[in-house]
Amino acid sequence: MKNSWREALIGLCLAALPVAAMFVLVVLPAFEGLRFSLGYVPGDNPAYSTGSHLVTSSTPTLEVYRTLLSSPFVQADLRLTLTVTLFTVLLILLVGYSLALLVRFGPGRLGAAVRSLYLIPMFVPVVIAAYAFITLYGSRGWLDALLHHVGIGYRSPIYGIPGIVMGLVWSHLPFATLLLGSGLDALPEEQVEAARDSGAGFLSILWRIILPLNLTPTMIVAAFSGISVLGSYTVPALLGPNAPQMVGVAMEQYFGAYRQPQGAVALAMITFALAAAIGALYVWGISRTRRHG
Amino acid sequence: MQPVRRLEAVWFMRVPQMRRALLWILVLALGFFLLMPLLTLVLWAFADVWRYPSLLPQMYSLKWWNWVFHNGNLGKSALWSFTTAPVVVLLAWVICLPAAYAFSRLNFPGKRFFFVALLAADSFPRFGIYISVATLFFQWGLIGNYWGVVLVQLINVIVTMTWIPTAGFDGVPRELEEAARDSGANPLQVFWRVTLPLALPSILVASILAFLSAFDEAQGTLVVGAPDITTLPVLMYSLVANYPEPVGAVFSILLSIPNLLLLIFARRILLSGYLAAGFGVR
Repeated sequence: MKNSWREALIGLCLAALPVAAMFVLVVLPAFEGLRFSLGYVPGDNPAYSTGSHLVTSSTPTLEVYRTLLSSPFVQADLRLTLTVTLFTVLLILLVGYSLALLVRFGPGRLGAAVRSLYLIPMFVPVVIAAYAFITLYGSRGWLDALLHHVGIGYRSPIYGIPGIVMGLVWSHLPFATLLLGSGLDALPEEQVEAARDSGAGFLSILWRIILPLNLTPTMIVAAFSGISVLGSYTVPALLGPNAPQMVGVAMEQYFGAYRQPQGAVALAMITFALAAAIGALYVWGISRTRRHG
Repeated sequence: MQPVRRLEAVWFMRVPQMRRALLWILVLALGFFLLMPLLTLVLWAFADVWRYPSLLPQMYSLKWWNWVFHNGNLGKSALWSFTTAPVVVLLAWVICLPAAYAFSRLNFPGKRFFFVALLAADSFPRFGIYISVATLFFQWGLIGNYWGVVLVQLINVIVTMTWIPTAGFDGVPRELEEAARDSGANPLQVFWRVTLPLALPSILVASILAFLSAFDEAQGTLVVGAPDITTLPVLMYSLVANYPEPVGAVFSILLSIPNLLLLIFARRILLSGYLAAGFGVR
């Protein structure tokens, strides 16, 4: 039994490295932030103690959250964030599935072409993607010009909710398609063939066989994209309306423009609570397929 | 079970030509969505005069390339980008790869908890972390400091660099290791000759993603690195806001070239399922 003790000790030491890094770089700062948002203002921290609208208290108080959540602006921000997250995740699944299905079941050349295209957004920095979207879809952009020649009126979606959604879908597509595609590759070929032989159409195969068997990857993609979209910054900072804003951008404004670090940190906590709910869903999803430990 | 309703449009789907046409429309729409933004950007980079509603620039020139290349900030930012991102990857190897091996091969208490805890920490909104991290770094003298920037970029790669290689080690057949051991190799030799080479593709995939994430990071780098350390994406933010379209376009192309080279090199390996395995698919 000496060996298993040694193994446990070595295992713990090795695993401790990333856990410790995560603790110092994320958990500790997050905990500091939580205390700050509950009214504990550290005097030795100028970034915190020089903020305006500070709530200072020796006992934990939810005052900051109360003020924040009762503001109609913040409410609008949160509503916008949830709307964008919902639509973005749905569209990521829809487009991601279209691409993954084309690669898996599309005619040979087509599948290969799609396969070499869909990875591109992964390699383009997000700030560039957002900028490219403005040049294409913006008012007086390329699409505007094209439709002008055809004689169709165009109102640019880029500074509205659709602009944010489009940008976020674009940047999350490679990840989603890769994961969904891997799930499809693992599908038993015979089952699909059998259904096809018995005369089932593509849609009913999709609905009755492919989607149920590919549920886990679908949930994983939904959860990861959801968390990432919730806290996203670059795309909603460059695209979308000036107000209301996604919470990621609102946080930055609270910290920078309004000089209210406490509000910024509290917003981060609220977003984290939402992300944690999605994360719990993910953990439940993978614990059904894979057991670690 | 719900009866499948036969809609009027179904006849359309029964004609093979129609079906093929629909498929191609779908593909073209997706192609447009994926590529057209980048193509527009390429046109802008070579445009001198491009007035609405022309579909192509009226006059082409390279003058903005000249302008960008003679802007002193470009070289400086490129240097910062290419000295931080690779170091982030190296540091992530040191921190995460031994742990990935442990998560895959060793039994120790709290294994599953730690593995999932990494994700929990990772789902904290970035900007909230950056604000708090900045105040910690301020106390430690890491603001405006090279290592401060490396550490802030490291935050985003820890989960990737742990999870994907864990799945990679999981995928190495134990029988191969046992066979090597039976033929007289010691544990270290087994690891270097058998386990590591077989897990290498997944490590490469994780490294590519880590590099991209570090290279792309702007928000934390701005908060921690300001005012001295501006990487390329940080510079891009100010260029987009303050200069005419071609400048941002030229800069975008320059910034994308290293990544697109990486894409050509990494395409096959990225498509082989290691990423999905790392996130629990299969």
